[in-house]
Amino acid sequence: MEELLQLLTETCPGIDFAGSEALIDDEILDSLDIVTIVSAIMDTYGVTISVDDLVPENFNSVAAMLDLIQRLQA
Amino acid sequence: MSFTSLTFLVFLGVLVVLYYLVPRKFQWALLLLASYAFYLWGGGKTVVYLLITTCSTYLAGRLLGGLNRRLKALPAEERKAKKPSFDRRKKQVVLAACLLNFGLLYILKYWSFTAEVVNNASGFHLPAPDLLMPLGVSFFTFQSIGYVIDCYRGKYAPQEHLGRYALFVSFFPQIIQGPIARYDQLGPQLLGEHQLDWDQLKYGIQLCMWGYFKKLVIAERIGVMVNAVFADVWGYSGSMMAAAVLGYSIQLYCDFSGGIDITRGVGQMLGIDMAENFRRPLFALSLTEYWRRWHITLGGWMRDYVFYPIALSSGFRKLGSFARKHFGGVMGKIFATSMATFVVYFVIGIWHGANFRYIAYGFYNGGLITAGLLLEPTFVKLRERIPIRWDGKGWHLFQMARTSLIVFVGRYMTRAPRLITALAMIRATVTDFQLQSFTDGTLLSFGLTAFDYWVVALGMVVVTAVEWYQEKGGHVRKWMEGRGALAQWAMVMVPLLVIVLLGAVGQGYVAAEFIYAQF
Amino acid sequence: MQSKKWVFMFLGCLLSLPLLLMAANFIVDPFAVFGNMTWYSFSETLNPRVAKTTYLKEHGSEYDSYLVGCSSTSSYPVDALNEYLDASFYNTISYGVDMKDAEETVGWLLDNCTVRNIVLNVYVDNGVTYDTGQDQLTLKLHGEVSGENPVSFYGGYLLADPNYILDKLKDKAADTELSQTFDVFDEETGAYDKRARDVENIGDLERYYEAYPVFTDYPVYPARMGEIENTMKSVAAIRDMCEAADVDLYVVCAPVYGEYLNTFTDEDLTAFYTALAEVTDYWDFTYSSVSWEPRYFYDATHFRNAVGDMALAKMFGDDSIYIPEDFGAYVTAENVADHVRTLTNRTGGLEDSGYTCEVPVLMYHHIAEEGDGGVTISADCFEEQIAALHEAGYTAVSLDDLYAYVEEGRDLPEKPILITFDDGYESNYQIAFPILEEYGMEAVIFTIGVSVGKDTYKDTGVAITPHFSYEEAREMAESGVISIQSHTYDMHQSAQLDAAPARTSAVPLEGESEEDYMAAFLTDMEQSMAEIRAGVGEPVTALAYPNGDYTTLSQALCAKLGLKATFTTEARTNVLIKGLPQCLYGLGRYNVEEISGAALLELLRG
Repeated sequence: MEELLQLLTETCPGIDFAGSEALIDDEILDSLDIVTIVSAIMDTYGVTISVDDLVPENFNSVAAMLDLIQRLQA
Repeated sequence: MSFTSLTFLVFLGVLVVLYYLVPRKFQWALLLLASYAFYLWGGGKTVVYLLITTCSTYLAGRLLGGLNRRLKALPAEERKAKKPSFDRRKKQVVLAACLLNFGLLYILKYWSFTAEVVNNASGFHLPAPDLLMPLGVSFFTFQSIGYVIDCYRGKYAPQEHLGRYALFVSFFPQIIQGPIARYDQLGPQLLGEHQLDWDQLKYGIQLCMWGYFKKLVIAERIGVMVNAVFADVWGYSGSMMAAAVLGYSIQLYCDFSGGIDITRGVGQMLGIDMAENFRRPLFALSLTEYWRRWHITLGGWMRDYVFYPIALSSGFRKLGSFARKHFGGVMGKIFATSMATFVVYFVIGIWHGANFRYIAYGFYNGGLITAGLLLEPTFVKLRERIPIRWDGKGWHLFQMARTSLIVFVGRYMTRAPRLITALAMIRATVTDFQLQSFTDGTLLSFGLTAFDYWVVALGMVVVTAVEWYQEKGGHVRKWMEGRGALAQWAMVMVPLLVIVLLGAVGQGYVAAEFIYAQF
Repeated sequence: MQSKKWVFMFLGCLLSLPLLLMAANFIVDPFAVFGNMTWYSFSETLNPRVAKTTYLKEHGSEYDSYLVGCSSTSSYPVDALNEYLDASFYNTISYGVDMKDAEETVGWLLDNCTVRNIVLNVYVDNGVTYDTGQDQLTLKLHGEVSGENPVSFYGGYLLADPNYILDKLKDKAADTELSQTFDVFDEETGAYDKRARDVENIGDLERYYEAYPVFTDYPVYPARMGEIENTMKSVAAIRDMCEAADVDLYVVCAPVYGEYLNTFTDEDLTAFYTALAEVTDYWDFTYSSVSWEPRYFYDATHFRNAVGDMALAKMFGDDSIYIPEDFGAYVTAENVADHVRTLTNRTGGLEDSGYTCEVPVLMYHHIAEEGDGGVTISADCFEEQIAALHEAGYTAVSLDDLYAYVEEGRDLPEKPILITFDDGYESNYQIAFPILEEYGMEAVIFTIGVSVGKDTYKDTGVAITPHFSYEEAREMAESGVISIQSHTYDMHQSAQLDAAPARTSAVPLEGESEEDYMAAFLTDMEQSMAEIRAGVGEPVTALAYPNGDYTTLSQALCAKLGLKATFTTEARTNVLIKGLPQCLYGLGRYNVEEISGAALLELLRG
């Protein structure tokens, strides 16, 4: 969790990842951020995130993203 | 059948009454019937294209759904082994659907342009038949391709019933100009059973009235002036061109967003909540934000079906690592996504039509946004050095004005007849800006009186005020509910009179002055 | 308020809109269908067919004879007809009338009004269009005339566009004495109100082309006459109806502008006029030398009222006014074959064959021993100038000579010139009169009523250049050399000596209402005319505008007063045209200063 949070903050500085549960729904992240984040996650964790996974539920919070990564790693 | 015709109002009135009278399980069938009646009324024979798209994407959806289901039904081991072959077949289905539908769209919308360009450049004689453009072809094509891709991605199970699916593609309020709907959002509502909800009915009527106000009172009025200037562009000074482009910006926004308001209002009257397509673009602080507020459903479509696939494609990911290695820093990090962004805006430009000016329009938007992305780190550094309040009202106002100016310049490209004309007009606006042409009566020679300009100006003040109130989080229709009976009556009667007197009437009217102009 | 209630309120409001509209249309009645708030001139402009029917339902008893036809029918003046036929004519002219409309109109007139005479105007266009079946509110016939179902007829006007209501209210507020684009008809006669167009100055062709460029680049769109048969059936029906009702029918073919005739083929023209002769005898003015003179036309398709006067004079044997020799022929079945040949053998244009004449007008003021370098010139100089004119062969003509030229076509002498004096100074009597008498040159003196016989300014006691008295004026007039005419009674005031606002010329004061101005102008001029008439024994027929200032309205008022000529200070030579009296309105004059006789001749040569 801490590791992911650090990665996200590095990738998209200035966004309060820890404090939000609706990053997508509240339009805190835009599509560019998503792609940047997805690329970073794929590089760091060695998973393949496909376009099908790009739904708000998977990116609304850090926990959701972690959940997605773990699911893909399994 | 145009939204602004009396026929449409009668059609709508009858439909709404029937809709809540028929047994609820037939409501969707009534809508389908009404949608096809609506389409046939205005589109006639071109309904064939609508049917082709409907049937082909319906079929593709079912095939994809079947593949998905079969794959899922397999035991885990086998599933893993067979997945690649299933994926291949799924891709073939999607490709076939895309080829057929985009091919059709291409032939209808872009072929004559291609033929012209090729013929001019090479001396070939590609035939360019004058095809009848089906109403809303871009919209229903995009909407159904979105559905096919969602089915491919397994986002939802496909609709098994052809008639029910046909309603999703042809739903009459949105077929001409969108919004481009998603099946999982709109489908269940179209097919569900709706009980008469007076609140929704009221809100729908009010939203329609707001749309009619923008369309009839503002857009159609200022359109007279815009057409007059563009009919004889070089007859006027640069300042008049700028005025015409400003008028066009107003016309386009009021016409398009007003039309969407009517669409959504009609939907609401039927108990159907349709996607928002505009969110007060005037208040956008940047061009990127503008595109998130303007024609939202098109932007969303482009994001989900163009941007993500491109940005996450292996080619772009390789480009990304290449950039990180060679450029380093932030630039390296976002280079690939910036390029993907550029492609999206280029496609959006072409989406508008087949012409060099739309291509240029795509380059213009894509170029500016990409440049903005790439230069962002520089701006951040600059902002740190300059000690002003970067989140104050003044800065925001400046950003809004800056965004509006960028959009305004882009409008030259979307309205001028040719790219060359657009560029020359932009030049003339700067080099030949004559202030006196605003006061010497030129403005009154376009078929509008001073009164008309006042109507447009006041209309825009009302629109801006309402949007500002909404931007602050206010709900106009809720606010109106809290007023007294007399006030509520006035808030019906006055807008009605304004729409009728300043918007609707006058089509069969011949001023005596014109009758006798020659004698 | 509950939403349900709101929805019903909304529906109520929506349905109340048409009711409101109907009420407003009924009360304001822009088309004069219901007879409320009548303003016929406006309503007839919107739709003459309907409004004139309503007008006649109310005023029909004031008339006993009617003109029927399309817009060129307007130019047969009712006054002349009334005189020739001792009748009371109303002009039912509506734009674009075809013979079906005409037949229905005549039918309605015969059924609903007392009718003694019908003058039916047939225009070449009637061969092209028939029963165009116009159903727009601005073009349709009154339901009573066309037989339309009353619910649909009145319903249509009850639901008429509210813009017409707004227009009527707005235009009423902007209404003026003379017609504007929204009230082009004269209520009483039914004809177009041409008071303004009939006092505009007409002179040389070049200036006319500038004002009416349509004549320089005349558009010709070939047309076929596919409706001759139907049209003639309707003419025959009108003929039979009139015969049955014992009504005198006069069929007239309107003068057509020469180039417009090129719209049609010779075969069509022959067929049209031959077919008409088979139905009825008629007066044909279609083609003559008049057809080639644009100044006889208001625009491409409408001849002037003055030409209408000529046509009527021809029809009723009135030889007191000018009529070109080849203008008008009485066509019967016997002579029609020969007659149409004049049409098909028409030439491409016309030489100016002696119906126009250039007449320069000189303008003098005071004459003294010594000139002042301005408008006052020395006696010697004046005499030298008159001698030079005389030497050069100029004949100073009188106003009556000019009137006889334009009205009766009586030719002027070679090199005519008109000499005028403004203000009525004593020096005119003392110095100019004897010199003019000596050379046999006639002249006109325009006197300011209040200054006659005065050497001080009105009641102020301030000395001014002395003015001659009525005794002296009468002596000059009786000599036959001088004509005394008006320079207004008191509309040439001194800005220094009169109380503000001083009326220094005969145009409206700043901020003066039209009504006040008209009253002031008419009172002043009536007094001037009456005093000159009493003091000199000569009728006043001309006005020189103080400072040369005039407006279209002042010109129209002069016409109303019966004046035949008005003079400005615009420096140009006038071109007079036979048969077009309005060319004497707004005449130009050369101001003559202290220059040699040779220089004056040079000035006249232009």
